[in-house]
Amino acid sequence: MRLSLREIRRAKLRFGLLGGAVGLLVFLILFQQVLLGSLLESFTGALERQSADVVVYSEDARRSVAGSILSPEVVEAVGAVPGVAAAAPLGERTTTLSANGELVDGSVFGFVPGGPGEPTALVEGRLPASPGEAAASREDAADGFGLGATVTVEPGGAEVTVVGLTDRSRFSVSPTLWLTWEGYVEVVEAAEPDAPMVFPSLVAVATEAGEEPAAVAVDISAAVEGTDALTRSDAVAETPGVAEVRTSFLLILSLAYVVVGLVLAFFFLILTVQKSAALSLLRAVGIPMRELVTGLYLQVALVVGIGAVIGTGLVLLAAQGVGDALPLSIEPLEVAATLGLVVAVAGVGSLLALRRLLQVDPTDAVARPSLGGLA
Amino acid sequence: MDALTLNDVRKVYRTGDEEAVALDHATLSVASDEIVTLLGPSGSGKTTLLSISGGLLTPTEGTVRVGGDDIGDYGSRQLTEFRRDKVGFVFQSVNLVPFLTARENIAVVAGFGGRRSDADERVDRLLDELGLADRGSNLPDELSGGERQRVAIGRALMNEPSLVLIDEPTSALDTQMGEKVMELIVDEMRARNTAAVIVTHDRRMTRYADRTVEITDGRLEA
Amino acid sequence: MKLGLLELRRRPGQFGVAGGALAFLTLLLIFLGGLLDGLIGGSTGLLRAQSAELIVYSDDARASLVRSRLDPATIAAIGDVEGVSAVGGLGVAQVGARVLDADGQPRTDEVESVAVVGYELSATEVPDPPPVGEAYVDSSLGASVGDVVAIGPEQLEVEVVGAVDDTSYLLQPGVWVSPETYEQVLAAARPDLAMAPGVFQAALVRTADGVDPDVVAARVDDATGSTSTLTIDDAIAALPGVEDQEGTFGIVIGATFVVVGVVAALFFALITIERTGLYGVLKALGSSNLGVVASLVTQAVVVALVAFALGLGAILAASGVLAGAVPFDLSLERAVSTGVGLVIMSVVGSLLSARRVWRVDPASVIG
Repeated sequence: MRLSLREIRRAKLRFGLLGGAVGLLVFLILFQQVLLGSLLESFTGALERQSADVVVYSEDARRSVAGSILSPEVVEAVGAVPGVAAAAPLGERTTTLSANGELVDGSVFGFVPGGPGEPTALVEGRLPASPGEAAASREDAADGFGLGATVTVEPGGAEVTVVGLTDRSRFSVSPTLWLTWEGYVEVVEAAEPDAPMVFPSLVAVATEAGEEPAAVAVDISAAVEGTDALTRSDAVAETPGVAEVRTSFLLILSLAYVVVGLVLAFFFLILTVQKSAALSLLRAVGIPMRELVTGLYLQVALVVGIGAVIGTGLVLLAAQGVGDALPLSIEPLEVAATLGLVVAVAGVGSLLALRRLLQVDPTDAVARPSLGGLA
Repeated sequence: MDALTLNDVRKVYRTGDEEAVALDHATLSVASDEIVTLLGPSGSGKTTLLSISGGLLTPTEGTVRVGGDDIGDYGSRQLTEFRRDKVGFVFQSVNLVPFLTARENIAVVAGFGGRRSDADERVDRLLDELGLADRGSNLPDELSGGERQRVAIGRALMNEPSLVLIDEPTSALDTQMGEKVMELIVDEMRARNTAAVIVTHDRRMTRYADRTVEITDGRLEA
Repeated sequence: MKLGLLELRRRPGQFGVAGGALAFLTLLLIFLGGLLDGLIGGSTGLLRAQSAELIVYSDDARASLVRSRLDPATIAAIGDVEGVSAVGGLGVAQVGARVLDADGQPRTDEVESVAVVGYELSATEVPDPPPVGEAYVDSSLGASVGDVVAIGPEQLEVEVVGAVDDTSYLLQPGVWVSPETYEQVLAAARPDLAMAPGVFQAALVRTADGVDPDVVAARVDDATGSTSTLTIDDAIAALPGVEDQEGTFGIVIGATFVVVGVVAALFFALITIERTGLYGVLKALGSSNLGVVASLVTQAVVVALVAFALGLGAILAASGVLAGAVPFDLSLERAVSTGVGLVIMSVVGSLLSARRVWRVDPASVIG
């Protein structure tokens, strides 16, 4: 035990470099994990945290909310499909919002209060009840979307007041306002005075108790021509870009884990090989193998521990830096899970060194034939 | 001209306030074709004397001449060149480069200078003369102890030094093997008229040399 | 130097793990870079393809095509501004499209996302607008000249009369059509956004020779009083996600390069300690410090190059699969800059051990 700690003190550069490498890799893994989580939350949170069991797109929309447009007749037709308890229009419009005196890109949703499509993650205040009221996602509260704030929907100049905050209900990685359907219609009409009417983007569907949403979705797509119905979770997963983002990050993360394992493996293996003469000497003077193994794992644990601290620190720092466009939410549980996986990878990586260590034979200390130095 | 002249050489090591005199007013001449053994127990200063003669250490006082050149004022770069071109070393533990073949181990010192055009020829001749003609492409761990020793001698002779310094050539060997190695070294040096200083603690090995100088506590006694 | 190469040849196994780790890091770096290039390239192709110097948005659009509207009077006014040599409307509709087979049936059930571009001025990559019923189509859609593509909810059929490259907008292949076709597609897809004839989302401006585009931009905005004019480069940077992606990927790629340096430093620190005795012998025999360090650096370069080749090979082998799943685009520039970065970081890492080489005392070999 004490020996292995002393070894670290004697070889500060080597262990420092290793700790630094592991720390940077942990940072890369954590940063991308947090980025992935926050990106997806921020990308599809609005879709995920609304009450419809099934959402219906126009077939041509390729499961993109922004590309979907439906006629009011479709809402009625969907409502008539067996298994559907209620159907309501859900509108979405990408627009410019003026909050806190600054213009930002944002999304406006329109839902029917009390109907399917209502935000489900209200954390403060209340949901809007009349035109001129809105709920915002609390991630944006500090940027002019706080309770009581007035936000202008820029084209058209309609003003709404924030009366409630919801949790992680952003859309398309930008600030998002939830309005009543009437409020939404007013805002869109103000922006597009020439448009013939305001169309729903989606139909939000509540299924009857006991009905399987997936089955109802299949029925709707079949029954109403030109529609593409998906369960809520499918709608989130099938949003264009989500699968690509997931695949990319998954590849990046697994590569980073492999590198962590390799770096730890080669470091401790070389280290064990380099000190094998000293190790056999220690065995010869009666140090039990158990103690040497404990020492090895103590070093691994220390290195991974330092790496975890460095990595977590760097992530907290980076989260401050990235800030504006994408609020990074660091979930302690997720960080812990990631660090757990790093520890597991480190454990596997150090098996090579362990195997070498277990081969150390105390008789080598006396029987080692003199080969004459280097040769 | 003598191969080596030490004149009143002192070497003092300081650790904190303590002073240790490793070499005390040592004076020694080795003629250009002479083989001298330097005999002394461990800690007597013989290693220090060898290191100073080979430009590995600089003396605290006194002058050191090798082949007529005073190396006392040499800076580290000049000493590096001096070691490469003017002296040959045979180390106690042979110290061949483990990933180089016998041929490459001999040639390696020529490579540092990077200018010998006849290097290949010379390596061939050395391998041949040392009885290693068919071992040139073997790695050190494919060679016997004696063969390794011969490669080390070849490496020391590669740059045609005027002086070869040999450190405890027999310490790791049994008596019979040790005598063989000493014979080999002495034969090779005599055949080339090259001067050599051989450091040993084994009195039995002194009979191969032209002359023996004993060293005790840093002082030379003829 | 020669010594370093000989060691690499005789004992490649010793460098295997470090080389492997660097190869995986190469894989990671090239993948990240290719992903960034794919994302950015796919988002910006439409604008990069333009030969115009300036793009004009309405002033409340915040440089977004979707939010911008320019009426015919405004576009005409832009044309009259001094220093403007040509002006043309530009509009994009993101809709679904199906490539039809010879029988007029969709080739697959999948509806592809495309960016239908209505335009008036030819671009670097795209000739003058085709007549109604025809289109220039980005090669990434997979349609060839002579194919018929059905676009939008009304499945308006257009014949492909030319293939163009690298003209995507927000990762959707460009389908370049006449303004009339564009208006028709947009009206069908988004009746709420339908535009009267002559109305465009934005206008492209070619400036006269020898006039500073920035000056013309200011004149345009003065003349109309309701527009915001950007250079094409600024407009590219203002596209949604472009700056964020560059920033975020920048952090990740930068950190990965630092990891390369640290891993190389670690490896060479370990190897140098192991070779302290050897370095002592070499120095005693007359090798200079620089000579020994040159050997180390040579090894760092070779290990980095081999790792780079392995990583690049792996990603090339996988690129077919990757391209289908993610917007991955590997350019020669990206590959070369990754290789150069890898070699530099590896050399920097190895130089950290130079100090230790210097400190080895050749006198330690004797005694």
